[in-house]
Amino acid sequence: MTAPEAFPSEARPRELELGVDTGSRDETASKHGGRKRILVVDDAALMRAYYRQALERAGFEVEEALNGLEALEKLLMQAFDVAIVDVNMPQMDGMTFLRALRARELPAGGIPALVTSTEAGEQDVAAARNAGANYYLVKPVAQQTLVDYVAMLSGAAP
Amino acid sequence: MPLIRKPQTAGLVQPDAPAKSQGELAKTLREGSIDERWNAARAAAGAADGLTLLRDALSGESHPRVREAIFTGLARIGTVGSAEAVVPFLRSDDSNLRTGALDALRAMPAAVAGLIPSLLKDDDADVRLLSCELARHQPAADAGRMLAELLAGEREANVCAAAIEVLAETGGPELLPLLEQCAARFSNDPFLVFAVGAAAQRIGSQAMNRG
Amino acid sequence: MVFTEARRYYVERRIADRMAATASRTFADYFSYLRQEVHGEVEQIINAFTVNETYFYREDHQLECLTRDLLRERIQDRTAGGPIRIWSAPCSTGEEPYSIAIWLLENWPQVDTYDIEIIGSDIDTRVLEAAAAGIFGKRALMRLTPQLIATYFRQLDEERWQILDDLRGSVQFSRVNIVETRETRPQGRFDVIFCRNVLIYFDDESRRVAAENLYDNLLPGGYICLGHTESMSRISPLFEVCRYSDAIVYRKPREKRA
Repeated sequence: MTAPEAFPSEARPRELELGVDTGSRDETASKHGGRKRILVVDDAALMRAYYRQALERAGFEVEEALNGLEALEKLLMQAFDVAIVDVNMPQMDGMTFLRALRARELPAGGIPALVTSTEAGEQDVAAARNAGANYYLVKPVAQQTLVDYVAMLSGAAP
Repeated sequence: MPLIRKPQTAGLVQPDAPAKSQGELAKTLREGSIDERWNAARAAAGAADGLTLLRDALSGESHPRVREAIFTGLARIGTVGSAEAVVPFLRSDDSNLRTGALDALRAMPAAVAGLIPSLLKDDDADVRLLSCELARHQPAADAGRMLAELLAGEREANVCAAAIEVLAETGGPELLPLLEQCAARFSNDPFLVFAVGAAAQRIGSQAMNRG
Repeated sequence: MVFTEARRYYVERRIADRMAATASRTFADYFSYLRQEVHGEVEQIINAFTVNETYFYREDHQLECLTRDLLRERIQDRTAGGPIRIWSAPCSTGEEPYSIAIWLLENWPQVDTYDIEIIGSDIDTRVLEAAAAGIFGKRALMRLTPQLIATYFRQLDEERWQILDDLRGSVQFSRVNIVETRETRPQGRFDVIFCRNVLIYFDDESRRVAAENLYDNLLPGGYICLGHTESMSRISPLFEVCRYSDAIVYRKPREKRA
């Protein structure tokens, strides 16, 4: 049996242009005692727990959705500062969710969206940009990387 | 007290569509409007050779709602043949199609059961990853066995993570050594280390609550 | 449903009961069994945790949404005297469709402007017979004011009230299995469908077929309301999601030029 492959060095996060006016992000935090609110959209319970752990330790408030449809519902009912969006999910995948989201009125429709995906190909990054993603991270995502990007996207203090 | 009147509803009841032949359904699925294709897709599962109708329609259909109805029809047929018609779409570049395919296979667990072992050995890591989800809806013992076999030899961290996600739910303590090995093999993968820890904790606490 | 630490014993006991009933040795076995929805286990465990009650004006916030928001939208392009069709499926013993009727009479200023048709459907003919008879006990009426009861019911005895004949006659009841397209189709198309607390009992395949049937039974732009704790995110991607006040409702998209 050959030696197991060393874990590949973390792919550089793909940065996309911020193509959508996100409106006033500070409005959300001020309603919630200053803490930025993050919606984690992923069908994998362990992934949601991993993100939650990282984000809560960094002082963010976290809500979860299991797929794009549930995410749309939560975004309608509550304000969030950033959405972290997986791609492969039941009922409504991440790309379909982003297109539906961007068709909505502000402020919900303008929320910054960070896509997390197992795919590292250029066409996948491009598809995410076209669907309305602001940033794209390739899984697995280190907790600190996630926190850094969420902090940047939410306008939270470093 | 004002009364609620009972009106004539004639204009609003859809006329009963006459049953279409195999050939008519095939033509409509190719050439009809969205609503016509939708209706044809919904009727196809009951046709003589619904599987052929739906399989052919699926490769050419781009409207999400019609695709949804085609996938439902294939799930209703629920044979190994219909599962085999859906499986290729797990490889699609279109995430919407992949989701549709996975949802359809989820709805026919008996039909897909025999296909899962080979899917878990597929050359494409994405297919292996998505197929872990299919194991979730199989009997716990089978799921455990198939995913343990995958874990023992899997080189892609994200695929291992998908397997562990399912095993955390239904796995037994006999899996703990294998999980530990996985964490050791991918010690540089922060999520995988976390996932093994969380899964082990969940499996351990379930073992304590044994009847 | 919210479970605090205090309810842990309650939850454990109910799950232990179900594990014994299904001969599951471990929780993992039981969970796997549940996931496969073998022999309606989903229904069993839901019944173990909920009291299956129905009563008048249950979830009245949805009724408020109906008149304040949904019907306001529906009449935008409706001429006076035109039809408004509302479907309660499943209707069980009739509390829901009769509640809708009473609510409209009491709360919708335009109730006389349109031809309102309310249909109640269920798979169970016994409950349909009860619904058509329109006789209810104290528990069913507990949310209604004495004034509402006096207006719309005739008291039969200490324990029973009957819906007045006029109102009883204006709700139609029909036997329909919402998974059977040939049974749902003839009901026609509706402005609003109430389909509460039934889709969660179905397996994946039946849920898909039922959702497609309900889609077909809606007019373009028509609304479907689920139970308070239900969500289309577990059922079907066919519908658009809308928020009105604190209620989430779902809508069949309007026609676009193909």
